[in-house]
Amino acid sequence: MILFITGGAKTGKSSLAQDLAVALSGGGTHYYVATMVPSDEEDLQRIRRHRDDRAGMGFETIECGKQILSCLDHVDKTGSFLLDSATALLLNELFPDPTSCQMDVDAAYRCGDELVAFAKSVANIVIVSDYIYSDAERYDEVTETYRRCLAAIDRKLAAASDTVLEISSGNIYVHKGALPV
Amino acid sequence: MNLIIGGAYQGKLDFAKSAYDYQPEDIFTCSGGEIDFSTGCIDHVEEFVLACVKEEKDPIAYFKAHKDKWQDSTLICQDIFCGVVPLGAEMRAWRQNTGLLCQYLSNEASRVSRIFCGLEQRLK
Repeated sequence: MILFITGGAKTGKSSLAQDLAVALSGGGTHYYVATMVPSDEEDLQRIRRHRDDRAGMGFETIECGKQILSCLDHVDKTGSFLLDSATALLLNELFPDPTSCQMDVDAAYRCGDELVAFAKSVANIVIVSDYIYSDAERYDEVTETYRRCLAAIDRKLAAASDTVLEISSGNIYVHKGALPV
Repeated sequence: MNLIIGGAYQGKLDFAKSAYDYQPEDIFTCSGGEIDFSTGCIDHVEEFVLACVKEEKDPIAYFKAHKDKWQDSTLICQDIFCGVVPLGAEMRAWRQNTGLLCQYLSNEASRVSRIFCGLEQRLK
């Protein structure tokens, strides 16, 4: 089953995603696919917080910041996966050189197709993204490209998903399918 | 009238085309303070609102004045009113006026759809 979760910042997406990934594993192998490549102390703190959150839940962590299909070679595909997040993965693909704003838009779109392919080749997956589309702001071209690419990925994932959830202040709205029992 | 709202790049126009069978010539894309209501589908209503703010026009009054022309239309508006309050006065007025216009249009609409990641959430 493919389950897609999105919503605003700090709404409870990650902890819900962890619970769902564990539930979907039915006691079997469950992987945490970490996509964020830390670039400063704030990122490292964030990673530590997420690690503490899922401590004791039995996740096996796979670090993969780019070309997501590459990590499929070393995993048990019958397991359950949590990929957190599409947002971070896109960041790494769209900006191959973290020190510049040079964009690789082709890589960004390929990343969306690869995420769908990844999701379809494993037994169960929960994918987390971020909803960043309702601002009254004129962003610069780089930010706008990032938003457009993430929306394209979100739409591909939502179309391929069995269940699509929006989280708002910890509340769940089901846009498609149903929550797994 | 059908109202379609949703965030940027969520697939609002694609939804309008498939749900109501619009062809490219049926779509008017707002870019200034006037709307050609002769087409069936009016896209980017929020850009019309921004032009109204710049021209110091009331967008709701404009829609009320042309009420007979959009009764069978589909209106598409980006929900720019869910984010942070912008610092600039013009962007603040844009955000507020778009929100208020969507309330008015929602009330007038027979069907209101919010498009989320390409999926319809039927609000009315």
